[in-house]
Amino acid sequence: MKANRKENKGFGMSFRTRLLLVIVAALTLEVTSIIQYIYTQRGIKHEASLRAEGELKSAENKIMDVVNQTEAAVRNSIWVAQWCLDYPDSLKRIPQRVVSENPVVVGSTIALVPGYSQKYPLYAPYATRDMETGKIRMLSLATEEYDYPSMEWFTKPLELGESYWSEPYFDENGGDMLMVTFSTPVRDNNGEIAAILTADISLDWLTELIGDIKVYPNAFSMVVSRNGQIMVCPVDTLVMKKTVDQFASESSDREALDRVNKAMLSGETGEMLVRYNGKNNHVYFAPVERTGWSLSIVLPEKELYKGVRRIGLLVNILQVLGLVMIVVILRIVTRNQIKYRQLYEQKERIENEIHIAREIQMSMIPKTFPPFPERKDLDLAASVIPAKEVGGDLYDFFIRDEKLFFCIGDVSGKGVPASLVMAVTRSLFRAMSAHETSPARIVTSMNNSISETNENNMFVTFFCGVLDLTTGQLSYCNAGHNPPLILTDAIRGLPVVPNLPLGIIRDMKFVEQETVLQYDDALFLYTDGLSEAENSSQEQFGESRIKAALHGRKSSENHLKHIEHRVSLFVDKAPQSDDLTMLFIHYLGGNPLTPCHYHLTLHNDIKQIALLPDFVDTIAMRIELDHEATSNLNLALEEAVTNVIMYAYPEGTDGVVNIDATVDGKSVSFVIADNGMAFDPTAKEKIDIAAGIDERPIGGLGIHLVRTIMDNVKYERKDEKNILTITKNYA
Amino acid sequence: MEVNVSRENNEITVRFSGRMDTLGAQEIVPQMNALAEEADKTIILDCTDLTYISSSGLRIFVTLRKAADERGGKVIVRNICNEIRNVFMMTGFLNLFEIQ
Repeated sequence: MKANRKENKGFGMSFRTRLLLVIVAALTLEVTSIIQYIYTQRGIKHEASLRAEGELKSAENKIMDVVNQTEAAVRNSIWVAQWCLDYPDSLKRIPQRVVSENPVVVGSTIALVPGYSQKYPLYAPYATRDMETGKIRMLSLATEEYDYPSMEWFTKPLELGESYWSEPYFDENGGDMLMVTFSTPVRDNNGEIAAILTADISLDWLTELIGDIKVYPNAFSMVVSRNGQIMVCPVDTLVMKKTVDQFASESSDREALDRVNKAMLSGETGEMLVRYNGKNNHVYFAPVERTGWSLSIVLPEKELYKGVRRIGLLVNILQVLGLVMIVVILRIVTRNQIKYRQLYEQKERIENEIHIAREIQMSMIPKTFPPFPERKDLDLAASVIPAKEVGGDLYDFFIRDEKLFFCIGDVSGKGVPASLVMAVTRSLFRAMSAHETSPARIVTSMNNSISETNENNMFVTFFCGVLDLTTGQLSYCNAGHNPPLILTDAIRGLPVVPNLPLGIIRDMKFVEQETVLQYDDALFLYTDGLSEAENSSQEQFGESRIKAALHGRKSSENHLKHIEHRVSLFVDKAPQSDDLTMLFIHYLGGNPLTPCHYHLTLHNDIKQIALLPDFVDTIAMRIELDHEATSNLNLALEEAVTNVIMYAYPEGTDGVVNIDATVDGKSVSFVIADNGMAFDPTAKEKIDIAAGIDERPIGGLGIHLVRTIMDNVKYERKDEKNILTITKNYA
Repeated sequence: MEVNVSRENNEITVRFSGRMDTLGAQEIVPQMNALAEEADKTIILDCTDLTYISSSGLRIFVTLRKAADERGGKVIVRNICNEIRNVFMMTGFLNLFEIQ
């Protein structure tokens, strides 16, 4: 039992296995989602960077458009300015034209280098567009408050000797707005710089343009001048108030900000991850040609990955749900497995115990064959093929005082109760037959004992026999069992009074019957496990198949083997539902010379001789004649019978031939009788078998063969009958 | 009882199969009588598949043998089983026929 339990351990799933399973599942899910997260993040980052680049490029193009228009407006007027240098009063028309002809330009001046004109030490007529009315006003910048020669837009191109984009500035007393100025030197005929021609553009349009860039809802854009002045930025308080360097120096994330500022201010194009206020921001930046500005888009990382985070969260929730489900399913499965395992073990244990009990019982009944090897007068074999479920079949036999006591029985039902009743029945049989020789009395006592204690209403069909091995006298009593078969010259059911099975009615009177077994007779006892063995189409093996299977001469053991073989072929794959028990008793005692009689009646039709071979075979089998002797016997009988059929009756009349055979173990004799005309075949002249072909008669061979084969041939005419007796002796 | 006759050159092979009992012999008598007309040739009686013979069968054999004698032919008996050899012995047929 212990071994069994150990084997069953594999049936369920251990805690460790389940834990491992859950961990593996969790890891697989997690790794998958991490990989997915990383790839999505990369994709999003790449996408964002492409979009930022695109936006930057498009903003730059728009800015450049304005820058180019402005520069063109100024440059187109240079030649006029040069031409007018000598007539300062006419110069004021130039800025007026620049502004009026170029909508992007909000203001323009031509400022003479101080001292260039004798008439005007300082001269700077300024044209500006009124933002509300669109009209062009003319002002002069040559005032004390304004002091244009100190303005950057004036000093830088003068100093550099070339065109210059100013830093953004608030033009007080000039355009009175936030602006940048493009200024270019105007040279006189000597190549000396005589004046600076400018065009102003307002930063308002830049703010508007940059404000339109919306890569992501929380992203923002900035424009920084070449000196780091913040030109456009969503925080108004910073615009034109602080440089990016100042901003960086006030921040705790200075290092990171400095890095990006440096890159931006040196006119690089790129992308940087900047940590600011504990948050990561992606900064994309690109320069604007000529102006020295740097455009940038700042994208908070949180914003960028908001979508991915949401998906990631969803995936995580699903994973947790999946894991919970796995755990729950495993729990249910394991619980069921434990339950099944317990049931299985219980069933196995019970079955095992039943089988052990069964084995103990079976060991009580004789199982060594041949059981009586020293006895020549008895050939006995028995077998039980147990069904998978324990049944209650039994057989038993023993010899006491030269008498064979035997029984076969089948307890109703199956399982342990049947098995126990079977053990009791067998013990009772032994106990009751120890001093009793009458089967009816044995069966009666057994019935009373079983009935007394029969609380479960179990019953036993039982057949009990006592065979006197010296005389062949068989007394038997049947208690509701199926009739055994008796094998003499034919196979037939032993006549039985059915009575009732054991255990049904107490004090029941059982009828005892008797018969005599001759030498070579046999009894075949079986339980309904044989007759009711079913094949897969619910057909039963039945008595006719049993009889057919019993034909032929075999040892008892071979008879049983043959039947087992036939049954297994018949049943094929259908499961055996009942025990199959058989007992074969071949009686070889008594007088082996006991005469045996056979009879056959034929009509006077030559076709009837076809019946002879089977008749002779039956007789020959009885005394175990070999093939040649059988053939000779057949020939002698055929010749004798042919004579009668051909010659005894006149043609066209009906007549019969009666054949009586007697076999007594040492001889076979046939008495062939007919009612025909008197005819003595033995009166025929004997033929000379040594004669040559010329002297040979054609007929006369028949009676010659009869005489040669048989030891005695005798004819007599008696009671109007021809009686021919032919005898063959065997040593 | 079956008889199968085949001819080749001057030889006639008669192949018997089954039991040549009284009944079987009666069935083949007409065929055998016809064969006796050709007894100037060599007649081979192939008994490989013949399992039994009774006096009626023996009569057929003798009749053929006699016809062969008259017409200058020959009868050869081939392949007889033990049982038939035994019958031939009992009836002296072993001396009457050439047996192969």
